[in-house]
Amino acid sequence: METNLILEGFKFMGLGMGTVFVFLIVMIFVMQAMAKVIDRFFPEPQAADATAPAKKDNKTIIAAITAAIKHHREG
Amino acid sequence: MKNIVLKFLALFMLLSFTNVMANEHAATSTQTMSAHQEETYQSKPFSEMITGFLKSTGIVAFIHPRADELSATGKPMSDFSKGLGRIIMILITFLLFWLAIAKGFEPLLLLPIAFGGFLANIPIAGIAGPHGFLGVIYEAGLSNELFPIIIFMGVGAMTDFGPLLSNPKTALLGGAAQFGIFGTLVGAMVLAQMGYVDFTLKQASAISIIGGADGPTSIFIATKLAPELLGAIAVASYSYMAMVPIIQPPIMRALTTEAERKIKMTTLRHVSRLEKLVFPIVVLSLAILVLPESTPLIGAFMFGNFLKESGVVERLNDTLQNSLINIVTIFLGLGVGSKLAADQFLVPETLFIMALGIIAFGVGTAAGVLMAKFMNLFPGHKINPLIGSAGVSAVPMAARVSNKVGMEYDRTNMLLMHAMGPNVAGVIGSAVAAGVLISLFA
Repeated sequence: METNLILEGFKFMGLGMGTVFVFLIVMIFVMQAMAKVIDRFFPEPQAADATAPAKKDNKTIIAAITAAIKHHREG
Repeated sequence: MKNIVLKFLALFMLLSFTNVMANEHAATSTQTMSAHQEETYQSKPFSEMITGFLKSTGIVAFIHPRADELSATGKPMSDFSKGLGRIIMILITFLLFWLAIAKGFEPLLLLPIAFGGFLANIPIAGIAGPHGFLGVIYEAGLSNELFPIIIFMGVGAMTDFGPLLSNPKTALLGGAAQFGIFGTLVGAMVLAQMGYVDFTLKQASAISIIGGADGPTSIFIATKLAPELLGAIAVASYSYMAMVPIIQPPIMRALTTEAERKIKMTTLRHVSRLEKLVFPIVVLSLAILVLPESTPLIGAFMFGNFLKESGVVERLNDTLQNSLINIVTIFLGLGVGSKLAADQFLVPETLFIMALGIIAFGVGTAAGVLMAKFMNLFPGHKINPLIGSAGVSAVPMAARVSNKVGMEYDRTNMLLMHAMGPNVAGVIGSAVAAGVLISLFA
């Protein structure tokens, strides 16, 4: 055995882990940039406005139902 | 009138004459046929026929193997791997059946692999040989690495990058876990240097990819770099993936304190549909720029994911996730099983592959957990180190293990979605690691 295999193994490790980390770190930055760009220029239509009046409606409906039950029991 | 009758008669005679000629011709040809048959099939006394037939039975083939029988790769085999070795291998496939059926060890792949192994160890029939059906399956989709790529498309269609996109930092955990691959590579080289085994660098690389905990990637790399070790590598890879719930928790507990295990992570932000749609294209573009050798794996994976996130090809998405991946899994399993022939599997290297594989898993798990602890040294949102172990791919098993261990210490601490981030990053990480290994030997 002429080549030092252990040394070769460590070389592989350095290159391999280095590439994996460089790739993932670049990916993290790109992901963060992408999130900002998309949030700024292409925001998703907010669904929150639609739920707010629905809550109010529920309350009036519940009030009506309880009133009806009360009326029914008393009557 | 008379004329017409005469003409008819003449025609009739002519026809019958040619008919006789044809018959004579047929008779001569059957004569030559039977003469030809007698050349290959010599009439023998009945007793000789019986002994001849008995020699072709399996019982005799196991006890007195034929001297001229060649292995699936066309090389002469020792008597051991033609006789007793095959019986041992068939018993090993029975053990794999038991693990898959009774213990639930990745049955979807382990059962086809084990049955393929059973078939590959049948004497005389040569099912794993170049003209047997297992050999044909192997040539059709494994020797050219097609089947693992198709599986990767299906896995891509099943993957949700949402958790990773909402907490990009966790991708580092998926990177750290790839230390299992390269740590094992060094370990294998140490063994080779000290003369215990005779692994070449290519073989050691193929073995160490088991630490990526990604079945299709392991098979892809093994067929490319060391096809002679494919059977052992695939069996080790899939059986250890099934054993993730047993292998990982002790390592996770040993490396973390009680307080760290109870860390609660901030809730994940909502990820828009457009982000999920753009992400596969972005990662593939990065792979093209950094490491084109990894694009077969990452490209197939992102193709599946892109179809899913596009939301307009529900039929294709459904096929990738279900029927296609199921069909290819059957062929992949049987093709890998063809490499479980005794002459290739019953070698000392197999034991080393099994041992190195489990070390790779353990080192990967430990590296992921330690990376999470290291990241907690920096300011910012704290990470529960238990999700670090999910950096080894094994989707979604490793993430479930993180969740389960976390729940043992705090029943309200749901880590599953947080662990999916490093989990899918681990798939990308091991595909990149595989690309590096391929590029080093290109």
